[in-house]
Amino acid sequence: MAEWEPKIAAFFCNWCTYGAADLAGVSRMQYPPNFRVIRIPCTGRMSPKFILAAFRRGVDGVWVSG
Amino acid sequence: MGIDPGRLHFSWISSAEATKFVDVATKVIEEVKALGPADRFVKEKAQVA
Amino acid sequence: MTEYTQKIREIAKKLLSEGKVDVVIGFREGTVPLMAEPCLVSDPAGVDQLVFNSFCGVNLANYLPRRKDRIAVVAKGCDSRNMAQHIAENQINRDQLVIIGAPCTRMMDRRKVAAAVDGKDITSVAEADGRLTVTGPGFEKVLDRESVLQDNCAICVHVNPVLSDEMLADPLPEQEKDRYTDIREVEAMTPGERYAHFEELLSGCIRCYACRNACPLCYCPTCFVDESKPQWVGKSIDPTDTLTFHFLRAFHCAGRCTDCGACERACPVGINVRQFTKKLEKDCKELFDWEAGMSPDVRPPLDTFRPDDPGKFIK
Repeated sequence: MAEWEPKIAAFFCNWCTYGAADLAGVSRMQYPPNFRVIRIPCTGRMSPKFILAAFRRGVDGVWVSG
Repeated sequence: MGIDPGRLHFSWISSAEATKFVDVATKVIEEVKALGPADRFVKEKAQVA
Repeated sequence: MTEYTQKIREIAKKLLSEGKVDVVIGFREGTVPLMAEPCLVSDPAGVDQLVFNSFCGVNLANYLPRRKDRIAVVAKGCDSRNMAQHIAENQINRDQLVIIGAPCTRMMDRRKVAAAVDGKDITSVAEADGRLTVTGPGFEKVLDRESVLQDNCAICVHVNPVLSDEMLADPLPEQEKDRYTDIREVEAMTPGERYAHFEELLSGCIRCYACRNACPLCYCPTCFVDESKPQWVGKSIDPTDTLTFHFLRAFHCAGRCTDCGACERACPVGINVRQFTKKLEKDCKELFDWEAGMSPDVRPPLDTFRPDDPGKFIK
């Protein structure tokens, strides 16, 4: 079996980190593929519920970025 | 509340900071990887591959 | 205590017969000893059932949200702080309220009293001079008041009402107490130990939601545990579900909880529910120098932004 890779739920603000991720993409930068991006309209939309819900569904980490 | 601090990250990255994004992404993944699979607070197995 | 009772009856009678309020919310004797129950009186003839004693631990602020009538309400220190919080959160109008302030002599814990007499049936109790005389079939026992106080009352530092229109007595001296010894113990644990500790703490939880229903802060029209699309938390007593419920409830109370102890009183299995809310209360005190409900006019730290808000956790 291949080496274990973590699964991370990433909550990104539409206007900040989501833009940065997009820019990283169009600039052809390399970064690891371990996170699944969830776009939120603003970091103000974030709620502790989402973090707990993510952990409950078995993710190994949560990353919130505005 | 019993979740390792290394599993939950907050950051602030402007839409112009692609390099910071790559840096932070790498760091977050490294930290979570170091902690190994989550075994606390899990209700069901992750359904994404 | 009888002075308080008499004064409450006098004030209630006056307010009701002069038509200043539509209803008086206070306490009356419960059907069993050690359990004073909340009571709404709207007829001046009914004021004689009102009492005040050391078992009036129910938080009467719980009965205020969304009421439209004019209300007179008996308020201990913690109740009045919750009322201030309700006013700040627009759940009730200050003009609707006549607050009958009761400088609180701190409430007693019926479970501790029951344990002190080995769970025997208690038929009556009497209080005098810092002592509680408990009687039942074939026994009589005198207890020291301090030894049977509710946990949250023993460390209470705000016994006097912060808001009041009528006072039942002069303000009492406030005690100085280190409120957070138990929280520091939990904080010193590693995440793994803490998780095990919480699982153990909540192992008896039957998810009856009595803590939520007794809590004056829990007035949401639909609680997150009752939502089904998406379902944030399962209905079972699976440990993960139970933990999720208690953690999220505590988060909702952050910066609003006055440590009135309603949740813990209501818990049928005697879980120390306050442990969760108290940690957040401690954080608010340390990070924002904030104590909930001290004034209805100051906005709480979690709904205001200041550039110097602590943000060390953000990379």
